[in-house]
Amino acid sequence: MRMKFGLLAAALAVAAITCVTALAGAQAPPGVTKTKFVIGGTFPLSGAASSYAPIPVGMKVYFTHINARRGADKKRGVAGRQIVWKYYDDGYNPANTAQQTRKLVEEDKVFALFGGLGTEPQQAVVDYLNQRKVPQLFVSTGATEFGANFRSKPYTIGWQPDYFAEGTIYGKYAATNWPTKKIGVIFQNDDYGKNYLEGLKNGLGSKASNIVTEQGFAVTDTSVAAQVSRIKAANVDVIAIFATPTPTIRTYATMKALKFKPEQVIVNSVSATDTFMKLALANADAATLDGSISTSYLMDVQDPKYANSAGMKLFKAQMAKWAPNADANNELFLYGFAKAYDVVKVLALAGKNPTRGRLLYAARHMNWKNPFTIPGITVKTSPTDPFPISQLKLIRFNSSTVRWAEFGSLLLGRGGT
Amino acid sequence: MTARRLVPGVVATLLAAAAVCVLPYFLSDTHEYRFAFVATFFIAALGLQILTGYAGQISLGHGGFMLVGAYVTTILSVDHGWNDLSTIPLAGLFAGVLGFLFGFPALRLRGVYLALATFAIPIALIALAKKYSDFTGGGGGKPLTRVLTGHEAYVTTWPIAGGMFVLGWLLLSGKLGRAFRTIRESEIAAVSSGINLALTKTLAFGISAFFAGVAGSLYAIIIGFVNPDTFQIELSLLLLIGVVVGGLGSLVGVVVGALFIEYVRLYAPEILSWVEAPFGSPLDPKRAGAPAAVYGLILLVVLFISPSGAAGLLRNAYKSLARRAYTLRRT
Repeated sequence: MRMKFGLLAAALAVAAITCVTALAGAQAPPGVTKTKFVIGGTFPLSGAASSYAPIPVGMKVYFTHINARRGADKKRGVAGRQIVWKYYDDGYNPANTAQQTRKLVEEDKVFALFGGLGTEPQQAVVDYLNQRKVPQLFVSTGATEFGANFRSKPYTIGWQPDYFAEGTIYGKYAATNWPTKKIGVIFQNDDYGKNYLEGLKNGLGSKASNIVTEQGFAVTDTSVAAQVSRIKAANVDVIAIFATPTPTIRTYATMKALKFKPEQVIVNSVSATDTFMKLALANADAATLDGSISTSYLMDVQDPKYANSAGMKLFKAQMAKWAPNADANNELFLYGFAKAYDVVKVLALAGKNPTRGRLLYAARHMNWKNPFTIPGITVKTSPTDPFPISQLKLIRFNSSTVRWAEFGSLLLGRGGT
Repeated sequence: MTARRLVPGVVATLLAAAAVCVLPYFLSDTHEYRFAFVATFFIAALGLQILTGYAGQISLGHGGFMLVGAYVTTILSVDHGWNDLSTIPLAGLFAGVLGFLFGFPALRLRGVYLALATFAIPIALIALAKKYSDFTGGGGGKPLTRVLTGHEAYVTTWPIAGGMFVLGWLLLSGKLGRAFRTIRESEIAAVSSGINLALTKTLAFGISAFFAGVAGSLYAIIIGFVNPDTFQIELSLLLLIGVVVGGLGSLVGVVVGALFIEYVRLYAPEILSWVEAPFGSPLDPKRAGAPAAVYGLILLVVLFISPSGAAGLLRNAYKSLARRAYTLRRT
């Protein structure tokens, strides 16, 4: 009897020890404690690309709002966890991105990286992060590769509509509304421009032959006169400009100089922000820019029709509260806000005992409406669709008011909504 | 060169080598990673020191030779299956040959004109890298074959840095080094003492470009990714500023220069905000000009306080200590 009792006691002891060890082994992953989430990202806060610096600030304002308010569960933060947002300057230099990212992962021990900005900077750390199994979520770039490579780089996911999707939308619109119009494309002869061009052809489908001329240029070229004159000589009805901001402005200036203004001008969204359009106006003229078409997926901060939407009111109120000296009309703050909304949602969906695996699962099964995007847009991902936002609205430029206005309906750039 | 004159240099070098060997035990992986960058800048600055500090030829374009080294390594290891470390000598050689060839037209130029000509090197090379995108991966860049941990990066770069330092020292302590210094002081005197001016000057460019090529190769390996814009003119200027801050004409000062290059670049916005704090931060430190403004500021401060850089400060400190020791012994 005593022997049996001894055996039972020993078995219980072993079970208890195993249990405790197992629980101890199942520690929280880095960056997660009972009271906080530590997350991070790298952004160009200084240097040539520092015009994107408002993005992490916009994200910070939203996180501060979430940390301060009581949610539906009566808790502050995300299910009671405060968000600690650490972001570092990489100056858009991959060498610095590599160092700052390692600091975030190894020293600050962040749970995940969100919103890292720049195609090349983020490309520099894709392998490192995927090897270490650190989620690299919602990178701030439209380069299709960040979504397209999801099978080999499962920890990496984009956020905004990618360039291929945007090009597809231009193509779809042209195929439907301008079925017989001739199109001339001027594109940056690198992955960036080619991405857009492929999308355009994809969207045009059987009407891809409407593209009568494709004029590539190197981003380091100081003149696009040759390309623009060839497009003019081809008597096109539509010109599509797929270039980064500086060559885009140069193209507009050249069009003005050559007195070339076809019926329609398509300009890629990266180069179509208010800042760049103002510069283009200064270098070309109102007539050349008027009626230019681009795309958008965020509510326009200055559009009166959104002034009373819940999202816009929240944005303006929180910006006034936490960043009163910032220019809330800068769309990049809203971009950060919108992205931060999705960050908070996936953090919440990672559950009561978040792990990186659960976070990644949440990021690959997104399906909701973001209050800061254009109404009707659904943020959606699935194991076969790694692109969260793929819908865009076309916008048209009015040179006299120097404003963009939405027109038409919401269009789908890729996959299923 | 008498043994006595060598002693402080040798002692300093041994101490530095010991420090480099011991440091990994005290540093976290993240900091070891940063120190690996210090090693690559050390090699590049060493090359620049040979050209500018010793041979007196200015170069505002050494980032361009780093680009060459980086791409040789990338293309050979990614597209042709070479082991990345085995590409380093070839990368250096390729850059060295390019530097040597550049030396010929540069013979006719001096001072500001030479500076402007070297300025064109990275600009031209970046444009070439972007243009021949099938070869180089273009503006979007190209990932390398492997990702190194901070520790791996440290133990890959520092032994090579040490080797390059010894190489540099051997080159400079011989006839070539004396020829360089003579050219720097007076070209006429050099020619009259029988130095082949043309050959020596082009050799200076070639050798310093070789160093920069090796540095660029390591740079690419430790980042794990290469793209043309990493080698913009800012990098070249930073290399030169690093050499000046370390002390022109001093091999030991190059270490200080390398530390300067790495850490000022990382902390530039913070430094700028400390500087502005007493004035109520009128400028937004996180602005387009931030890193460049900081480099300029520090350069000005260094030139005012100690024109011969950190090495000059160290030398003066050593001299005053030595004098005191001598005086003490006398009395």
